[in-house]
Amino acid sequence: MSRSVDFREFVSGFLLEAEEHLRSASGNLLAVDEAARKGEARPRAVRELFRSLHTIKGLAAMVGVDPIVDVAHAMEAVLRAADRAGGKLSLAAVEQLIAGSEAIEQRVRALAGGGPVPAAPAELLQALVELDPGESPGPSRAALALAPELLAKLTASERAQLTAGIEQGKRAVRADFIPSPARAAEGLSITTARERVSAVAEIVKILPVSAPRTEETPGGLKFTLLLLSAASDEAIAAAVPIPPGAVQPLTTAAPEEAAPPDVAEGAGPEDLPGEDPRRGGVVRVGVARLDDAMEKLAALIVTRYRLGRAIAALAAEGVDVRALRQIEGEHGRQVRDLRAALLTLRMISTRELLEPVPLIVRGLRASTGKSVRVEIDAGRGELDKAVAERIFPAIVHLIRNAVDHGIEPPEERRRGGKPEEGLVTITCFERSNTQIEIRVADDGGGIDREAVARRAGREVPRSDAALLELLALPGLSTRDQATKTSGRGLGMDIVKRLTEELGGEVLLRASPGNGRGTEITLRIPLTVTIVDAFTFECGAQAFVVPVAMVEEVVDVDSQEVVRSPGPSAGRLLVSLLSRRGEAVPLIGLHSLFALPGGEAAGRKALVVRRNGEPFAFAVDRMRGQQEIVVRPLSDPLVKVTGVPGVTDLGDGKPTLVLDLVALSGTLSGKRAEALT
Amino acid sequence: MSALHVLFKVAGAEYVLAAADVLQMESFTSATRVPGTPWYVAGLVQIRGRVVPVVDLRARFELPAVEPSLDTRVVVVQQGERVVGLLVDSAREVLSIAPDLFRPPPDVVATQAAGFVKAVAQAGGRLVMLIDCDRVIGEGKLHDK
Repeated sequence: MSRSVDFREFVSGFLLEAEEHLRSASGNLLAVDEAARKGEARPRAVRELFRSLHTIKGLAAMVGVDPIVDVAHAMEAVLRAADRAGGKLSLAAVEQLIAGSEAIEQRVRALAGGGPVPAAPAELLQALVELDPGESPGPSRAALALAPELLAKLTASERAQLTAGIEQGKRAVRADFIPSPARAAEGLSITTARERVSAVAEIVKILPVSAPRTEETPGGLKFTLLLLSAASDEAIAAAVPIPPGAVQPLTTAAPEEAAPPDVAEGAGPEDLPGEDPRRGGVVRVGVARLDDAMEKLAALIVTRYRLGRAIAALAAEGVDVRALRQIEGEHGRQVRDLRAALLTLRMISTRELLEPVPLIVRGLRASTGKSVRVEIDAGRGELDKAVAERIFPAIVHLIRNAVDHGIEPPEERRRGGKPEEGLVTITCFERSNTQIEIRVADDGGGIDREAVARRAGREVPRSDAALLELLALPGLSTRDQATKTSGRGLGMDIVKRLTEELGGEVLLRASPGNGRGTEITLRIPLTVTIVDAFTFECGAQAFVVPVAMVEEVVDVDSQEVVRSPGPSAGRLLVSLLSRRGEAVPLIGLHSLFALPGGEAAGRKALVVRRNGEPFAFAVDRMRGQQEIVVRPLSDPLVKVTGVPGVTDLGDGKPTLVLDLVALSGTLSGKRAEALT
Repeated sequence: MSALHVLFKVAGAEYVLAAADVLQMESFTSATRVPGTPWYVAGLVQIRGRVVPVVDLRARFELPAVEPSLDTRVVVVQQGERVVGLLVDSAREVLSIAPDLFRPPPDVVATQAAGFVKAVAQAGGRLVMLIDCDRVIGEGKLHDK
């Protein structure tokens, strides 16, 4: 009866579900935490928590991870008691529940990592058990009460089936059918009994039970039918048929006080208009599967280019390709639609991204002893799940920095005339349809530039950008940690790396005076898979650049180009292009990339803007515009600024995708160096 | 137990890699250069739909460069999660070598290939050198950290 299932597949399904339930649990934990502080009750949050843990427990039991089952079970008991008490939890209880949910999370992670899952922490279980008042009165409805010998013969799912039936208001009963020669003569056997009973009841299981050979049981055997039914005992007895007394309930009677007081739906402060946490019709899909689908789409797009080329070749031979072109166009639109549909599948809301933040802040409050609150404005943006997963650790770093180093201790804040409670604000907004900004700001003491400079052994930075550069020095953070001196920089190198890996940017706004807080913004792409791009040639090599990045493609009229005065930056050929009265630095991509070819080229230039400053890149020839699949370059051997990825233009060779904005960033750096 | 090794040549010398680490061997015409990468990175090639960075072993060992020929091969190796190609003069043999035949490299070898040789073995009357793949392709990782 057991189907052979790929266990790993099974586990990965468990991981996905567990993650979702843990996330929903952490939201509800926060709600009950807040309520506990105010001494309020949150019956709905408590019930939802209970539901989450109950599901986690069930799932964990299915994959056989006992430590998770144990913790979830203990938490469940506490929550059940709280539900009966009207949804009220003590602060101590919330503390243990949070510890419990962390313990489950750790074990889920261990399972995901393929490592051994540590046993449930005994102290935690003990603490949870002690919280449970242990009155455990009869359950709200009738409870399943099976004789142990029957119980032992039921599988977990059969037990669950019975319990679920009872919860749905059905009655669980047993009916004993005793076969005998006399009955057989009447044409009655267990087979007929089964058929007849199934008309009036749901048969959960038929158990053959051996019995002493007596007059009553001449065959030394009887069958116990475990049933769920809405029908009366008499109706069931008549169906088998057996005497009515042979049908017995499998439940203990429901206690009358059943409904816990004051849990009337629709009451309580939590019942404000909000999202229904029970999302309907959701399918959980691993990112790897989505990636796989994306890869296949990428192959389809490459084929489309080849098709286009083949049609062009036919046309060149004088063949009439109008019909083909029409189909090609239609096909192109369909591929675009498919791509859009796939991309949407991968998007998660920024609200979802920031969901765990309050819990993180809560933990920081406990570990630092500082009084901090967090305000989140998640906006309405959406971003690719893969991007979200990669950027989240950076956000956590920033929040930790803000609380650890930014927010001052209460007494200091009081002296400075600030409210004792520090404030961390997190704001998300879509900057364009390709970029999102996530800003983490605090109202703390700000960054001590002198201290940072001293620690880095450098000059005091004059600009925020220079300060950020110092903060992102890898050495700085470790020293910071070791000495525990206050100041910024903890993990800023990591934040910068995580952001830049995604093709994003970190911006810092440090208040110049003291005590006015710090603001760090991460500017990241929403998704980085398929983009509309210009293809062009330079030094006999093809390149592409995303259209969204290019402000304008201009003809370089030699009249308008002047050599910049003095020695230009390094060996780079930089001249100035006059464009609508603005002097724009013009950089030959040849010289920048050391490609063959020279100055005579550069009849076209691509203008990009970085931090408001324009840059023009001279190229040999524009080829056209097309959709490309960007494959990010991740191997350290080929990870360089300005080349985030490659694409296949249909010739089976990698073509570099350029990030001209990032390239101009390296240029302005070089120029600054050259000037000093 | 003998283990299979892929044998390839760079500037007349013979090197081996455990066949278990080698995904495939492909012929080579050109690679897409990536500006700003170390000198020994020949560029990117696309092999069976996968974009693979290629390390030119001649350049890595600081030997004179040659034009690619019909014999030139890219030996695609898997190192953990990374997949990297090694550009070699030729690669066409597979040898079975018992692990106990490998000895630490003599000094002379170690200096020639600048520490990229993990061990040497006398196999079938010839001297082969076991490449230290981590070293050869790991440089990028080092300066990334």
